[in-house]
Amino acid sequence: MSTENGKEAVLQTESRIPLRPLYGPADGAGKSYDTELGDPGSFPFTRGTRPAGTRRGWIHRELSGEGDPRRSNEQFKYLLGLGQMGLDVIGDTATMGLLDPDHPFARHAVGTQGVSVCCLDDFRELYRDIPLDQVTLSHSLPAAFTVAGLYSVASERGVSPAAMRGSVIQSPFFCEDCGYAVHMPFRLRLRLAADSIEFSSREMPKFHTFLEDTYYISENGIDAVEEMALGFIEVRGLIRELLARGLDIDSFGPRIAILVNCRMDFFEEIAKIRATRRLFARMMRDEFGAKDPRSWAVNISVHTSGLSLTAQQPVNNIVRGAVQALAMACAGVQALEVSTFDEAFRTPSPEAHIVGLRTQQVVELESRVTQVADPMGGSYFVESLTDELERRIGEMIGNIEAMGDPAQLADRGFFRRMFDEATERHSQGLIDGTLAKVGVNVHAVAEEEDTLLRDVAERKFEPSRERIEWMAAYRAGRDARAVEEALRALYEAGLDPRRSLMPPIIAGTRAGATNGEMAGVLRMAYGRPADPFGVLPDPIAVEARA
Amino acid sequence: MKPVKVLIAILGLDQHEVGAVAIARILRDAGMEVIYAGRFNLPAGVVKTAIDEDVDVIGISCHSWEYLYYADELVELLAKEEAEIPVVVGGSVVTPGDARMLAEKGIAAAFGAGARPEEMVAAIRGLAAGRAAI
Repeated sequence: MSTENGKEAVLQTESRIPLRPLYGPADGAGKSYDTELGDPGSFPFTRGTRPAGTRRGWIHRELSGEGDPRRSNEQFKYLLGLGQMGLDVIGDTATMGLLDPDHPFARHAVGTQGVSVCCLDDFRELYRDIPLDQVTLSHSLPAAFTVAGLYSVASERGVSPAAMRGSVIQSPFFCEDCGYAVHMPFRLRLRLAADSIEFSSREMPKFHTFLEDTYYISENGIDAVEEMALGFIEVRGLIRELLARGLDIDSFGPRIAILVNCRMDFFEEIAKIRATRRLFARMMRDEFGAKDPRSWAVNISVHTSGLSLTAQQPVNNIVRGAVQALAMACAGVQALEVSTFDEAFRTPSPEAHIVGLRTQQVVELESRVTQVADPMGGSYFVESLTDELERRIGEMIGNIEAMGDPAQLADRGFFRRMFDEATERHSQGLIDGTLAKVGVNVHAVAEEEDTLLRDVAERKFEPSRERIEWMAAYRAGRDARAVEEALRALYEAGLDPRRSLMPPIIAGTRAGATNGEMAGVLRMAYGRPADPFGVLPDPIAVEARA
Repeated sequence: MKPVKVLIAILGLDQHEVGAVAIARILRDAGMEVIYAGRFNLPAGVVKTAIDEDVDVIGISCHSWEYLYYADELVELLAKEEAEIPVVVGGSVVTPGDARMLAEKGIAAAFGAGARPEEMVAAIRGLAAGRAAI
């Protein structure tokens, strides 16, 4: 079923904002430069967070992590050798779900979609020989446990945790509905997020533990407006939680960052980032009363959309990555990951990693687009679209917050329905051709002709089943009593919502407890079985509570 | 006539749900009854639900490689239970080579990224009709 060219008679953005064929001086007339735009580095930061000329370009990095920590460490060194400027690590599905690699459900998934990390030894291996205070380390991993692992490894290596730079994603609101379910109730997820942010703003003040991740929620097919509205809902919910604890907004505000998605709508994605910077600045200053200008300016990093890539004609994905990278270069982001051409089939192959990194290098070094800050600023169209996105995102935030407590919305399945509707809308768009996708619904070729790069894209590797045996040995080699005591202490802390969970998680990590065990006792403290799938016994025995 | 009844499930820890939600909708729109088991299933649970619900076809949606290893277990369990329920696998990760391998294992049909909705609907209908004729 191929779509005829020009089927889209209606001019609109990917998020269905109606467009006209031409924009001119009348668009945005009467808007004040100083209040709406401002120079880069000044409020409301629409044009960028840093003054023009201070720092050009962005941190080039590719998403990595596969197999066990040792194998991922080799991958990191390979990428740094190619000119990568920071590390961007993702866990496998068990790791993301706070289940250990020897969980029966993880058997065929260990290390295939990211690195398997579950204990202190793993963090030691993961970052062997990597100067922790010199390379920025970004993580799509469970935040509190990752902060504990990093903090412990840095301390034992004699590196000050305060010197570490990087980030870890927070996803308490939407993780259960999207790809990062941790099988915990909302209150516990929010608490772990807030505890880890509070701890880091004191102990690791250069590290962005408050990284809002709107990338992974976008992979359900939600549009740019929904993406940022939901992102702000989560950011605002976390800020309110932290303020309710008596924290000063400026104690953690400068460390808030957002990891966004970048789809294929070139100008909409640029406008989205400009609108996000402005919305964020106004929210922090005018609504939450932040006084520190660093709290107003939000760092934005990007993963280009995996959903925009196709299994058909994988070579086309390289072109998509280049278009997206160029858009993000024009938007002025702080860090970028280009999803690789084999994304539809697997975690990145070494060949695809090179192409992703080279894409960034070519865009930055050859196109010269980063010489001038916010090159799109002042464009009739881009400014108009920025205004419209700001308006729509703000309106959606208001509508959702008017519906009540997000915890209840999450529990009632409100967000889940939003994601499901977006998924159906996206797949319907591909079927009826309103969402043009070269190689899928337009310019498709017969499967037997679709051969270019498929050999690389389709190459598989085995799950790291040796990790399962390694875990058995690891568990047997621990001081069982110390582990049990640490888990019990964490469980007790879990019962008392006034206590921070970070000290007992760090103590547990150092005693050799695994993330699966620690998450398990926390689930128990919140009245759930330690193992969400009911297969494993509880790691500690506790008296039934009334 | 009784509508065709299909169980849609994702195996193991694969959390990608886009394809499963999409195919469930496509099958419902085609007039079929869909039991949506969602994420986090092991073969034993899928087989039990399929038998309990008396479905005509089991549909496994996948966006990880786990299904390659679970396929044998699924087919073996169905045989052990003497349940003649055809299994269909779909997902963009399924390559032509995988499809051939799955066929050898006893998977009734496999659909990769290029599969068209009407093609999948027709195949599932055909499998259900074939089963009814037994």
